[in-house]
Amino acid sequence: MDENASVISMLDHTWFGSELAPETQEKLASLGSIMSFRPEEVILQEGEESIEFGILLSGRLALRTLVPERGPVTILSVEPGDVFGWSAILPEATAHSTVVATEPSKALVIDGMTLRAALKSDHGLAAGLYPRVLQAVARRLRATRLQLLDLFT
Amino acid sequence: MISDSIPRPASAARQLFLARSDFDALIGALRASGRTVIGPTIRDGAIVYDEIESAAMLPAGMGDEQSAGRYRLTDRGDGLLFGYTVGPTSWKRFTFPPQLNIAEARRAGGVAFDQPPVEVPQLAFLGVRACEIAALAVQDRVFLGGQFTDEDFRARRKAALVVAVQCTTYSSTCFCSSMGTGPAVRGGYDILLTEIEDGFVVQVGSPSGAAIVTQLPTRKPTHAETGAAIDSVEAVRAGLGEPLPMAGVDERLKQQLENPHWGVVADRCVECGNCTMACPTCFCTASVERSDMEGRLSVTERVWDSCFDVNFARVAGGDFRGRPRDRYRQWLTHKFSSWMDQFGSFGCVGCGRCIAWCPVAIDVREELEAIAPVVPPVERPVAVEPAAASPGAFSLARLASVKEETVDTTTLTLMDLDPAFLAARPGQFVMVALPGFPTVPISISRIGTTSIELSIRAVGATSTALTSLHPGSRLGLRGPLGTFWPIEDAYGRHAVVVAGGVGLAPLRGLVEALIASRDRFESVTLYYGARTPEDRLFRDDLARWTTIKAIDVAVTVDRAGVDWKGRVGVVTALFDMMTQDCSRVTAYVVGPERMMQASVQSLIAKGVPPDRICVSMERHMECGIGLCGHCQTGRFFVCKDGPVFRLSELGDLYVREGL
Amino acid sequence: MASTEKTARPRVAVAKFASCDGCQLTLLNLEEQLIEIVSRYDIVEFPEATSRHQPGPYDVVFVEGSISAPEHLEQIKALRKQARLLVTIGACATSGGIQALRNWADHDAFRAAVYEHPEWIESLAMTTPVSEHVKVDAELRGCPIDGGQLLEVLTAVLVGRRPQIREEAVCRECKRKGIVCLVVARGEACMGPMTAAGCGALCPSYGRGCYGCFGARTGVNARAWSEAMQAAGRPPEEVWRLFAGFTAYSEPFRPIITELGKAK
Repeated sequence: MDENASVISMLDHTWFGSELAPETQEKLASLGSIMSFRPEEVILQEGEESIEFGILLSGRLALRTLVPERGPVTILSVEPGDVFGWSAILPEATAHSTVVATEPSKALVIDGMTLRAALKSDHGLAAGLYPRVLQAVARRLRATRLQLLDLFT
Repeated sequence: MISDSIPRPASAARQLFLARSDFDALIGALRASGRTVIGPTIRDGAIVYDEIESAAMLPAGMGDEQSAGRYRLTDRGDGLLFGYTVGPTSWKRFTFPPQLNIAEARRAGGVAFDQPPVEVPQLAFLGVRACEIAALAVQDRVFLGGQFTDEDFRARRKAALVVAVQCTTYSSTCFCSSMGTGPAVRGGYDILLTEIEDGFVVQVGSPSGAAIVTQLPTRKPTHAETGAAIDSVEAVRAGLGEPLPMAGVDERLKQQLENPHWGVVADRCVECGNCTMACPTCFCTASVERSDMEGRLSVTERVWDSCFDVNFARVAGGDFRGRPRDRYRQWLTHKFSSWMDQFGSFGCVGCGRCIAWCPVAIDVREELEAIAPVVPPVERPVAVEPAAASPGAFSLARLASVKEETVDTTTLTLMDLDPAFLAARPGQFVMVALPGFPTVPISISRIGTTSIELSIRAVGATSTALTSLHPGSRLGLRGPLGTFWPIEDAYGRHAVVVAGGVGLAPLRGLVEALIASRDRFESVTLYYGARTPEDRLFRDDLARWTTIKAIDVAVTVDRAGVDWKGRVGVVTALFDMMTQDCSRVTAYVVGPERMMQASVQSLIAKGVPPDRICVSMERHMECGIGLCGHCQTGRFFVCKDGPVFRLSELGDLYVREGL
Repeated sequence: MASTEKTARPRVAVAKFASCDGCQLTLLNLEEQLIEIVSRYDIVEFPEATSRHQPGPYDVVFVEGSISAPEHLEQIKALRKQARLLVTIGACATSGGIQALRNWADHDAFRAAVYEHPEWIESLAMTTPVSEHVKVDAELRGCPIDGGQLLEVLTAVLVGRRPQIREEAVCRECKRKGIVCLVVARGEACMGPMTAAGCGALCPSYGRGCYGCFGARTGVNARAWSEAMQAAGRPPEEVWRLFAGFTAYSEPFRPIITELGKAK
């Protein structure tokens, strides 16, 4: 399908998508849809139960959390090529932070339940996707550790 | 030989001359004494050591051309019998055979272990070089110098008469002079020959040697002949050139056990073991059992083994040296470092066989240089002679204006300065003195035509006082001090500036200089991280730089409120977006210590070469001119040898705690 | 362990898959020791040598040949169940042999090119070493195997020790024997540095570079040798040819052959 082909091509240009096998890229493209977000549009709400998995294609998203006495604090920005809502893959999927677009943004978004069902039945997709999600999470963990050290003291 | 040899000083009275045409007499006399003569002969394209029956079997007129991984015979076009250097065989073949039965075990009724009687042939080694004599001495120490000895070796050594030959030629693979083993023979022989045009100057080294030489048709050499003999050895010494700085390499290697270069060599090495087989001092062996099918009679054979063997260090519980880099490191550090601790000398004699006979052309001299070089004295380019460069001296300056950059950082603009300050280069610093306060080092954040700027973060008494000054105040300066950013390191490459927090201050001048000569660089990028958006320095400059095409700017903060629409995340995450070929990046990094280390590690992991990463180090300074001793780290005075350093010169220092 | 003899000699079987028979022959070529071997071992199944035919279980099974046809898959598994010790012999059984070169080719195209009725030929797209299908207790490499090493295995089984098969490079055998390295001294092509010893450096002792028929030493740095040979001026085509021989499908050689195959 032409539509899928252009989605696959966009996916292939992202950090996350470029390392996926072509079959995995195809499956993600057919499972998801391209969505556009306006600045300040909330994509995921902290605590929300039904969440989506997304790969940011352009723009920027902010991950925010509510800190008592400080209000909403942005703890991380998601740049094009990176993923958000990766916990949608897990069974008890809830959003750990609020995801907000800070600029006009475009992402390939897949509904969590659909994705979980597909991963359960399609072992090939699971084999292709899980390692890369793990890499994305590991990368974020490494970055978080450095943030934790508060490099600026 | 080993108990017989008495090194004799070269003295004309003891020297004789043997004509080349009479050389067979020497071989004849050696054979007549019941010895098999082992000497050089050509086989399969090389000069090897094998049984010689007459001078006709010697490689007359042949030489060799050797380099890493390459050996070729050459036709010298003269009649010299010994005009070659060492070939693939070494004398250890005869003192320490490649295969030797060392035990017989019988199992019939009971169990018996027998050692076969030591039966060794009487040999004469013809054509032993200085490096080879040294190698025999090294093996003497290994096999006979300790608590447990190898009697088979002793017997073979004793049974071999050594006819040494002075080297009158050399190969590019020879480095005996660097190992202190040559080129001149200085003992350890029974007979010594120096080949000159018509024959040989002969020297006797022992009673056994004398017994042979008296049978030869020798005469007293002329002065010209003894002179020619000395000259030819000297010519070799001159030709070998400046010896490599091997002194102390054993200690230097001990400091380099984690050097990543071991992995680089290991990537080239195929672990064939040719180096250890060709080496005249390598002595590792394996025991192989050969039994009959019942296991009633078995023979233990000792064979040459190699520490490169994949199972060399394996035990039931695991493998002590499981990686190729571990095994290469073992070989090189044993040969050039731990051998010294074990036996009191280097294991290497500089014969060069491991270099010539390595099929992938690894040259140990190059690898030693890469892993454990002699550290050259630090040479620092001088920008300008600093003002007030003596203890207690300060040059006055007037505070012209004050600008609050962030909540805790203020930029002071100073004027009416000594011209030396206006000739400062980005990266340099000044010592700032305010009466009543300790002197502090502050980076220069901008160098103008009539002023300089200092951006100061209020963290202590002096800095707080400085940031509270009003325009018109005077203060004392010393400088400009220290090293500056080597902008030329980025010519033709991708210049990447990484700044964290107030670290942008010493880098601002560099960024401006990079922009000003933009066409000299492939690209210019600034990665700037701050704790929060409010902690960003030089926001006007940042805004301006973001708009111009000459430089790409990416800014990130650790955390932010909802008003911040920019990046939030750790500064090293910015490197993930680098599309430049990291091997062609030159990076300049300053920030708080932890941020710098994390950034440097990330850059190295991405492939930026350590000699293309510059950092500015911060240390406690009280004088800024290398006299108070406080800022030392390792062998460096950060105030004089730094504060700007290339990572490659810091080496280990950069990541070690407590230096 | 079933034995029909009162002397309880170990029962030996020799099995063959896709191979030339040369490795089995090595047993028969041990002329001087043959009588002793036959007296100490009960060779109950060896189609090449005897019409005796006894089903398992066996104490030692020597397996020659690579797994190449669909029926081999079942046969090797069944054989493994019958064997106390399974010893693979030869390049085919230990690395797939020369026929493993088809693993890089279009299998269907090959069949169509060679056979008039390719549909009648049942073969697997890849031919693989025995170890990829069943657990192997010992390996004898070579094309053919070395008689001395075979004797060592036979002796080891009787004595009860592990066979002493060294995983060193052919270069070590050359150097111990005093053979002048033909790579260094004559610039000739040789796979010695890559290859497991055991043949006594046979080809180099006749002045010819090693063919690599004993296969890649475990974990050997094949890339380094490929790069060194190319740096010495050998075109990728030639280097490919050196690796893609009797033991092309040895694990360390595989990626090199794939890469060089694209480059040539």
